[in-house]
Amino acid sequence: MIEELFFLLVFPGMTFQVVCGLGFEWLDRKLLAMFQRRVGPPWYQPLADMIKLFSKEDLLPKGANEMVAAFLPLLSLSAVLTAGLYIPIAGFSPVSFEGDLIVILFLMSVPTLAYYVAGIVSVGIYSILGGGRSLLQFFSYEVPLLIALSGPAILARSWSVSGVMSAQAGLGPFILFQPLGFVLAMVGLIGKLKRDPLDIPKAKSEVVGGSLTEFTGAKLAFWHLVMNVQAIVGIFLLVNLFLAWPQMLHPLLTAGIFLAQCLIMILILSTTSSVFARLRIDQLAGLGWRILVPLALLQVAVVILMGV
Amino acid sequence: MLKNVIEKTYRWAQKNSLWVIHFNTGGCNGCDIEILDLLTPRYDVERLGIIAQGSPRHADVLLCTGPVTKQTRDGLWQIYTQMPSPKYVVAVGSCSNTGGVFNGSDTVLGGVDKLLPVDVYIPGCPCRPEAIINALLTLRERITSGDKI
Repeated sequence: MIEELFFLLVFPGMTFQVVCGLGFEWLDRKLLAMFQRRVGPPWYQPLADMIKLFSKEDLLPKGANEMVAAFLPLLSLSAVLTAGLYIPIAGFSPVSFEGDLIVILFLMSVPTLAYYVAGIVSVGIYSILGGGRSLLQFFSYEVPLLIALSGPAILARSWSVSGVMSAQAGLGPFILFQPLGFVLAMVGLIGKLKRDPLDIPKAKSEVVGGSLTEFTGAKLAFWHLVMNVQAIVGIFLLVNLFLAWPQMLHPLLTAGIFLAQCLIMILILSTTSSVFARLRIDQLAGLGWRILVPLALLQVAVVILMGV
Repeated sequence: MLKNVIEKTYRWAQKNSLWVIHFNTGGCNGCDIEILDLLTPRYDVERLGIIAQGSPRHADVLLCTGPVTKQTRDGLWQIYTQMPSPKYVVAVGSCSNTGGVFNGSDTVLGGVDKLLPVDVYIPGCPCRPEAIINALLTLRERITSGDKI
């Protein structure tokens, strides 16, 4: 009982992921600042932002549905935290079952849909525009992402993350067999996190703040936390599916390798967001359906041929 | 005791995370360019936790530039009321302080303090970016000792 509560609330669960999420935000902003030759924020910046948002007044425009608007960020946060619970951290997975990859992918798409509904219930022209854009973006990146992530599962003949990892212990990291799948999954992850080249739903110069334009106070703080935890869960998932290292080593060494892999992923994400300019929504839809989906299908075909 | 700790934490967080929104109430664009300088690598106010926000709902500090004209008066009031409290107003530049050279015109009300409670005034035409950073640092001190929370 106490062990389960510890799993749920402390180590692979809530506390660990929230701390990792805040750390991710700081590292991301610091790296972006370094690419732009700035100093960047101090390490406690995400924490200060969050506490400040909690201390602020909670406002919503007239006509907005207060109950639903307060429920949506909590729903998204619980969904991503639950998804993170099933992802092995450096090979350590207390709760794991056959098929948890599908559950993780489902839970990680909950925040996008909640983001859309948040745009509708907080009446404001920019919120509604941002919500609609987020749904359009969802249809463009989600299909290639799902196909790309099913590649490792098909190769390992197992739909659980631990199963994929143990298959990689025998065959070697799956990025060697599916580099294309890894790139597609990265693009999909950037789209899911609404990060810079694909930040169409929350583009500041076009739709002010997207769905979150009218959100203030604690609700906004929870939304920021959802984005950060989603990023960290996505990074853990990709590292486990494509870059898993043999698990026979000393646990500390395994943890160090896992940490280094996550840092490299964060570096890739920050570099892409500082190098590329934002796409238009029609360009993203074209990219998703004309280029990414055929490439992902090609990757899956290669994987199936390899399996035979 | 606990209330004291919470209040101190809130003040620390508010001090270290000032999100600003910038509104031109009818100025000549001179001070606006100086505000943009703040975000560039040379002055980089993100190291003090200051970020420019697009939506007034996310902002703590309203940076006003230019004299308040009759046309922008309603817009300024609307933006100020949309911000969640605790909120602060900084009058950037001479026009924003007093109306500047436009004071006395038929279409100009005067400085921002004719309409909103101003926390910090920055003189200058246009004021230098260092002066704006100094004003924001003054505002941080006011948050540590002030009455708004």
